[in-house]
Formats: sequence, structure tokens, C-alpha cells
Amino acid sequence: MSVADTYERLFHAALRIRLVEERIIALYPSDKIQSPVHLSIGQEAVAVGACDALAARDLVFGTYRGHAFYLAKGGNMRAMFAELYGKATGCGGGKAGSMHLAAPEVGFMGASAVVASTIPHAVGSALAARHRKLDQVALAVFGDGATEQGVYHESLNFAALHRLPVVLLCENNGLAVHSPREARQAFGIAEHARGYGINVAVCEDGYDFMAVRAVLADAVSKVRTGEGPVLVECKTERYMEHVGVGEDYAAGYRSAEVAAEWKRRDPLCCEADLVARWTAEIAAEIDDAVAFAEASPWPSSDALLADVA
Amino acid sequence: MGVAHKLNDDLGAVCTYRDALHRSMHDAMTRDPNVVILGQGVDDHKGTFGSTLGLAEEFGAGRVMDTPLAEEGMTGIAVGAALNGLYPIQTHIRVDFALLAMNQIVNLAAKYRYMFGGRFEVPMLVRMIIGRSWGQGAQHSQSLQSMFAHVPGLLVLAPASADAILQTYPWIIEHHRGPVISLEHRLLYDVNFRVGAEAAATGDTPLGARVVRRGGAATVVATSIMVLEALRAADHLAQHAGIEIEVIDLNCVSHPDTRVIMESVERTGRLLVADTSWKAYGVCAEICRIVCERMPMALTAPVVTLGMAPAPCPTAKVLEDEFYPNLRRLTQELATLVLGREGRDVPLPDDASMADVYKRFKGPF
Repeated sequence: MSVADTYERLFHAALRIRLVEERIIALYPSDKIQSPVHLSIGQEAVAVGACDALAARDLVFGTYRGHAFYLAKGGNMRAMFAELYGKATGCGGGKAGSMHLAAPEVGFMGASAVVASTIPHAVGSALAARHRKLDQVALAVFGDGATEQGVYHESLNFAALHRLPVVLLCENNGLAVHSPREARQAFGIAEHARGYGINVAVCEDGYDFMAVRAVLADAVSKVRTGEGPVLVECKTERYMEHVGVGEDYAAGYRSAEVAAEWKRRDPLCCEADLVARWTAEIAAEIDDAVAFAEASPWPSSDALLADVA
Repeated sequence: MGVAHKLNDDLGAVCTYRDALHRSMHDAMTRDPNVVILGQGVDDHKGTFGSTLGLAEEFGAGRVMDTPLAEEGMTGIAVGAALNGLYPIQTHIRVDFALLAMNQIVNLAAKYRYMFGGRFEVPMLVRMIIGRSWGQGAQHSQSLQSMFAHVPGLLVLAPASADAILQTYPWIIEHHRGPVISLEHRLLYDVNFRVGAEAAATGDTPLGARVVRRGGAATVVATSIMVLEALRAADHLAQHAGIEIEVIDLNCVSHPDTRVIMESVERTGRLLVADTSWKAYGVCAEICRIVCERMPMALTAPVVTLGMAPAPCPTAKVLEDEFYPNLRRLTQELATLVLGREGRDVPLPDDASMADVYKRFKGPF
């Protein structure tokens, strides 16, 4: 496949995620989406580039800011909207909401709303993959805030100690809710990981899905051939507020100028012709998914106590 | 069932709690190549107080893995391994250390099946050992079964005998598709049990409560080592006062066997609950709730509860002896529960007899 084809495939995938989230913004005032939402707008390229570098059999362990990775790994859009609506046909049967999307059928192994808590799952999954002799890579995605948690350190140590086939992907948007990295971290994420003997790659241009894909493809290849874990730090920018569907540049904790600079380089903001080419088609797919969610039944009351233990 | 067959073979045999644990670990590893054991020192010369001794040599370091001191991380790693086809058995040499893993146990493992609408299963066993005596103190002695049992999604066991282990461990490892927390008692490790001699659990699974002694004067519902104390007290009362006490080993703490408990209380009219933990909000409180909600009129006397004193565990022997409920107190409470004021005249056992169990147990740990 040519570079141009790859570019268009990734652009389409990223645009699809952005349009889905823009639809969520549009729908949110209706209160039909009964869930807090943590939007990935601005960060789509990380998910798209990373998942494109993975094989279908590889596994992704996500976070509550999970719409982008769910869709990029191949999660069903109808099941996602139905889940946001709290319907029985949702990917979690109406028990997951936005923060716990999962699509194990395509290797998206769930998302947790407790920061850093799925990182060890990726490591343990890699341990299982090696034990079972599966040719399978696990990818843990997490934000820069997660690197402050003790379990992040514990996970890196074990993954490095046993040279497990896991990619640790940090989406570094520089913010933990409203707190800048400078207020939180006395260490550098890459330097810290190198202390474990972990290979590190940094992608400065997290808006560029081609660049992300190239870095991840190299990381995945190293991991797959048994070179041990790789940490990828992807710089990116969250355009929206931490939770909810608004922008909050006026709150004063972040710079609108910095975000504007990212947007000037963001292909989804710049390439109007490609956006125009696919918007109608993607909008139709979203219409269908929303209609599916609207028409779907609520969970029955016997679901309340189903699947507890 | 294979387990039952094996038990019949063993009828009359004597086995320590430790040997039962070792056998259940060994059998699980033999049966399923995807069973792995993860824990601090599981492959060392002490082998988790003997319960994993030699398994690393037999099954390889890839299946019996020593781990970093990282309780939360290792529990998360076990969850991830379970999500991808392994059956991890994780060990904590003290229950207290598992508190570092509460995020993974409570927020993740317990919820992964439900939170994703049944899309995932997290089959795993977490073994935690309750310490006691010889100055274990405040952080090596906690008995936190009710903390875990409070959380939907966890199956919590407190095996009180070799039989309980030989019957429940193979069953949960083979059949239960969710996380199991088992609180093993360190003082029981050296205790010999007559395997196959105890009453088997009464339900469809080996998780049910066990009536380990029949009697009509009062019902004791007990957990873990308190089952042994209750049996000693019951034997003493039968011998010295002609009172026959029924003793129920609760076995599964998270899903108490209501039928067995209610059937017994209805018959005896008197209930004493003896737990290894604190009484408030714990097993004692929960058993009382069960009886009060179903049939409080079955009780002919107020319920009596025994547990640890409401304080952290002290180290000085003289304080520790008061901290834990002992055989004398248990016997006195039972005698009074059955006979009223006349119960005070029943001769109490020599305190020293309790040491039959504890004398075998010496530090260092």
C-alpha cells in the first residue's frame, strides 16, 4: 500500500473519531448520553497511529478517555453509542458507560476510570501471551498523570525484569485534570523509563498519525521480536476540558495559544478537502449508530444482578 | 467428581493444613498448564510456609514466579494474565500486605465481569495468610475477611481445615470464573486434620457451610481457627455439663450458607458467632443480620458474639491473650447462653489446654 493510501486510511480513521465526538457534543445537552464523557478531540492521531501499527490479534488496555482507542482498534460504533445511551445493546450492556468501553472481539480489553490501573493488566496479559506462546503484543495506553502512580513503576519494573512483549504508550497532553506536569513531576517520563533499561521512543508530533504510526511500528516490531518492553511517549494536546463537552481555556490553567498552535498543525483542522470528502459518509454511519442507540431497549431489571460473580 | 473420589481414598488419613495446601497447589499445576503461582518467595527454601515448596523445581520458574515487592502491580499483572487465559494463584504471606493491592482487588478484579456487561472473566485465586501470636502485632495479624466480603464480585473463603482446602481449592480453580480471596490461618498450618472425617459441605458446591458437630443446645457459627476453638469448647461442655453444641464452619464468608445456619438456629434457638476478626460490621454482624431478617423469633436468647478486642493487635503476650477470644471465654459464654445463671457453675477448661494448638507454633517467621 502506498504512503498516500496509508495517509488517507489514517486520516479517515481519525476524522471518524473526531466526528463521533463532535456528535457526542451535539447530543450532550439532550441528556440522552447518561455518562460523564472524557473527549479525545486533539488526541485522535495517537490512537489511530498506534492501533494501525498493531496486528488484529494484539491487545489494547485503555483508559476512561477511551472513545478514540475503542474505535481505532475496531470497536463497533453502534455498540458504543448504545452504551453511552445506557442501552442493553451497548458494548457493556448498559453497565459501562463512556468510561468502560470494551471490545474484546477486536482486542480492546476494556478501560478503567482509575488512573494507571490497566497498565499492569497489559503487562500481565503479555506474561500470559508469552506463557501460552501466542505471537501477541499488549499495548497499555495511559496519560502523563498515570506515570506518577506507584503501579506504573511496579509495572515497568516487572515488564523490564521479564522482558515482556508490552508497549507502554504515554499520551502526554501535559495535564492531569487541570494540573500542569510541572506541578506534578520531578522526573522526565523518558529518562525514568530508561532507568529500567526500557527502550524509549518519543514522538513530538502527536497530531501526525503518520509519525505516530512510524514510531509505534518500530516499537511493536522490537517488542514482537523479543527485545523486551518499549515505552513510547507521544506528545499530544487535549482540546477540550478534562470531562464534559466544553472548552475551558477561559479558566486560566492552560494556554489557548498553545492549543491554537497544535490546531494549526492538526491535519483534521487543516485539510478541509479531505474532511469534506468523507464527512457525509461518516455522518451517515454516525446517524445510523445514534438511531440504533435510540431504538434499542433499556437493560431489563434482571440485568442488575447478572454477571456479579 | 474427582475430588470426592480422592477424598474417599483418603478417608481416615491424617493431613496437615499445610500439606492440604501443598497438595491443592500441586494438583492444580498438574491438571492445568495455565495455572501459575505468583508471590514473594514462592520458590525459596521456605516455600510460602511449605505450601509451595518444591513446585518451582517441578514445574519451572515460569510457572512458580518469585515477585517484586509490589502488591498492587502484581495483583494487576495477575488480573491481566487472567484476562488472557492464565489461572494465576497469588500469595500474600500476610493478609495485611494485601491492603496495598486493594485498588486492583476492589476496583478492578471484583468489577471486571460486571462493569463490562459480562464481556470479561477474571478467574484467579489470591491466598492471604492471617498471622497470630509470637508478637505478630498490629500489621501482621489482621483478619480482614469482612472487608473483602463487603464487595460484590469477590468470593471470600476462610478455610478452617485440611478438608475445606482439599474440597474447595480444586473446585474454585476448575469451576469458578471470578476472583477468589482465601484467608488461610497461619496457626492452622501445623495442625493435623483427619481428612474426609469432617462433614462435607451440604450444597451443590463445596463452598457451603459445614456442620462439623451436631448438637441441639446451641448453634455456633465460626470461621477459620475459631471453628477449632468452638469444637474444643463443645467437647468440654459435653463432657462436663452434658450440653451438646452444634458447630458450623462458615467456610465461605462472602456468600454465607443461609440455609444451614437458619436450619440449625431454628432447631437450637440459641446462637453464638465466633469470628477471627473484629465484631463490628464483620462476620458477627452479618450472621446476626441474616437471622434477624429471616426468623428472629427462632431465638430464645440474645445472640452472643466473640471476636478480637476492638483495638489493633498488641504484641505483649499478656495483652495478646486478652485481645483474642480464648477457649475459657468461649466455653463460659456458651454455658451461660444455654444454662443462664447456672452456666457460671460449669467448670471451665484449663487455659493451658488452648496451647495444645499454639505450642506447636514458634517464631521466627
